[in-house]
Amino acid sequence: MALITREYARDHLIHLLVLAALAIYPAVYHVLTNGGAPTGMVALLPRVETMVAVLYFGLFAMSFDFISGYTGYLSFGHAAFYGTGAYFVVLVANGKVPLLAPETPFIWLLVLAGVLAAVLALVIGTFSFRLTGVYFAMITLGFAQVLYVFMRDWEYLGANPRDGIAVTGLTEGFRIGVPGVDSLSVAIGQLAGEPIDLFGSTLGASTVSYYAVGLVVVVCYIAMQRIIHSPFGRVMIAIRENEARARAIGYNTFYYKLGAFSMSAFFAGVAGGLFAGFRRSVTPENGYYFLVTGDALLASIIGGFGTLAGPLYGRLFDEGLREFLSKSGSGGGLLVFLRDSLGHPAMETVVIGGMTVGELVETFLNGHAPLYVGIVFVLFVLYVPNGMVGTVRDRLGGTCAKQLPAWLSDRLTAIVTAIRERVSGVRH
Amino acid sequence: MILRTERLTKRFGGLTAVNNVEFALDSSECCAVIGPNGAGKTTLFNLLTGTLEPTSGSISLMRDGAWSDITGASPERVASLGVHRSFQLTSVFEASTVLENVRIAEQAAGVNAHNCWRNVNAFDEHVEAAHEILERVGLADQATVVAETLSHGEKRTLEIAIALAGDPDVLLLDEPNAGVSSESVGEIIQLIEDVASDHAVVLIEHNMEIVMSVSDRVLVLNQGQVIANDEPAAVRGDETVQKAYLGGYERGDLNTGGEPV
Repeated sequence: MALITREYARDHLIHLLVLAALAIYPAVYHVLTNGGAPTGMVALLPRVETMVAVLYFGLFAMSFDFISGYTGYLSFGHAAFYGTGAYFVVLVANGKVPLLAPETPFIWLLVLAGVLAAVLALVIGTFSFRLTGVYFAMITLGFAQVLYVFMRDWEYLGANPRDGIAVTGLTEGFRIGVPGVDSLSVAIGQLAGEPIDLFGSTLGASTVSYYAVGLVVVVCYIAMQRIIHSPFGRVMIAIRENEARARAIGYNTFYYKLGAFSMSAFFAGVAGGLFAGFRRSVTPENGYYFLVTGDALLASIIGGFGTLAGPLYGRLFDEGLREFLSKSGSGGGLLVFLRDSLGHPAMETVVIGGMTVGELVETFLNGHAPLYVGIVFVLFVLYVPNGMVGTVRDRLGGTCAKQLPAWLSDRLTAIVTAIRERVSGVRH
Repeated sequence: MILRTERLTKRFGGLTAVNNVEFALDSSECCAVIGPNGAGKTTLFNLLTGTLEPTSGSISLMRDGAWSDITGASPERVASLGVHRSFQLTSVFEASTVLENVRIAEQAAGVNAHNCWRNVNAFDEHVEAAHEILERVGLADQATVVAETLSHGEKRTLEIAIALAGDPDVLLLDEPNAGVSSESVGEIIQLIEDVASDHAVVLIEHNMEIVMSVSDRVLVLNQGQVIANDEPAAVRGDETVQKAYLGGYERGDLNTGGEPV
């Protein structure tokens, strides 16, 4: 028994370390960006608000990877489920959904948003899984774009559906926690969220949202992780590896694909719900548009296709880089850092063609974040095709959770042995 | 008798790949299907396993003492009824380990395949059964190896191991020897004889040494039609068979430059 527990703990050591790192991030950010600490940190570290977006969009990217990376069916219309989750939450809050009161606890809304997306996936999947490969990607994209156009022009949604809809029916924030118990739940949102006093220090609204959204994302991650490691998950991988053979050994792959698609849509719906709950508004562009799926694909490729946690890191990388290269006012990146730290004389120095350093910095950095993200994406596809997590996996010869502890302890033992030898060498 | 076809026909446009094939397999028999390239052997397999739907005719399988019609059933349905196949072109789960390749096939036959909550390692029975099969075919040492790193010969063996999983009644082996060097023919013969000892086997094979030593009966196809169906020795002496294989050439034809004498 002790052995099993130990093995279990060892398998999940990496998970715990990542969780711990995420949990202390707001504190680290606070310490490193406030007074006395090196100024570069403000430029380098993503803001806590950005991290909230990384979490809920990371969940969406993970749900995308769940179907695309594990069964090999590229769900290019995945935004349909994200958008549906987001619109559902805002519409309920505005009293536009029959039978559901605007005050319905947010946790139930998240579950219902997931269920709604899952049902939608059953409908879309029933048609789409007649096709494979690029045709599957195209038909799911088609469904998502139809929904996009539909939601853009449906006037029932709000006064100006093209510009999206915002929460107008509720003033207080959506609460994550035990449904209906205010003392055991917290409100999320940049403005609607409420600061909390804890152990003598105050957590800001963003930090509270970060932990609350993070909690839901972690629960969803664990659920997806369990599915991947279940017999059902193994069938998903078998379909990716060789669908004809999977059928020849007796799996009705259509139903397995449909089931996996529906499950992934559930989590995409929850992610959309979190997004709308935090932002309190949604537009057709950031809900249903195909570039939303494109961002999930980007995160999956950077983080590692077919590695469940990878897309979250991929999104962190993507958002972090965007913020680092963005203009002032959204997190203070490299541009602001250079302006502040180079000083006036250096900025005025003429370099080439009559351009000063200051002008060069402006030309290359101001508003070009997507360009550099694009270059990084191309480099990733060319040189790190398995993504961050996938590459680490290949190096270690197994999943990170299984292999990394062993690898670390090997390295530590080697270092300790080396030090011991040194020490005994000195003694002799 | 366990498997039979009646007037089984498959046409692709103007080409009749399988033509009125009447075939019956005994439950403890090893029957070899031979014939020149393009004779319709693999098409026959694809019809038997549901990969292709026949143009006309029927396929029946003996289930619990009664014939049930499986004409036009899907591949997964045929597999779940106990008719498993191996492929002519190696078709395994390349990125999975050898053990997982067999375990996933073993899982398909069980009742837990839909479970999406418990860890896969909790189902010991599939792992144990998979180990037994690997032991039987001689891949036990390679259990933890990723399938794509196996040699060609080992992959051919893994093909059979996957088909063996889930305790089928009928095994359809499509050229288990394809591309394997002639030195290892002995091993293949041993393996086929071993699996034939407790399964009904239909075997497509070009290597006559294998056909003659393992099969109880030989079915010869030519241009989609059965031209012989008898014991190996009898088929060997059959003139129509020799003609089909030699494409109508008589002994000595080549010496005269192919011109009519």
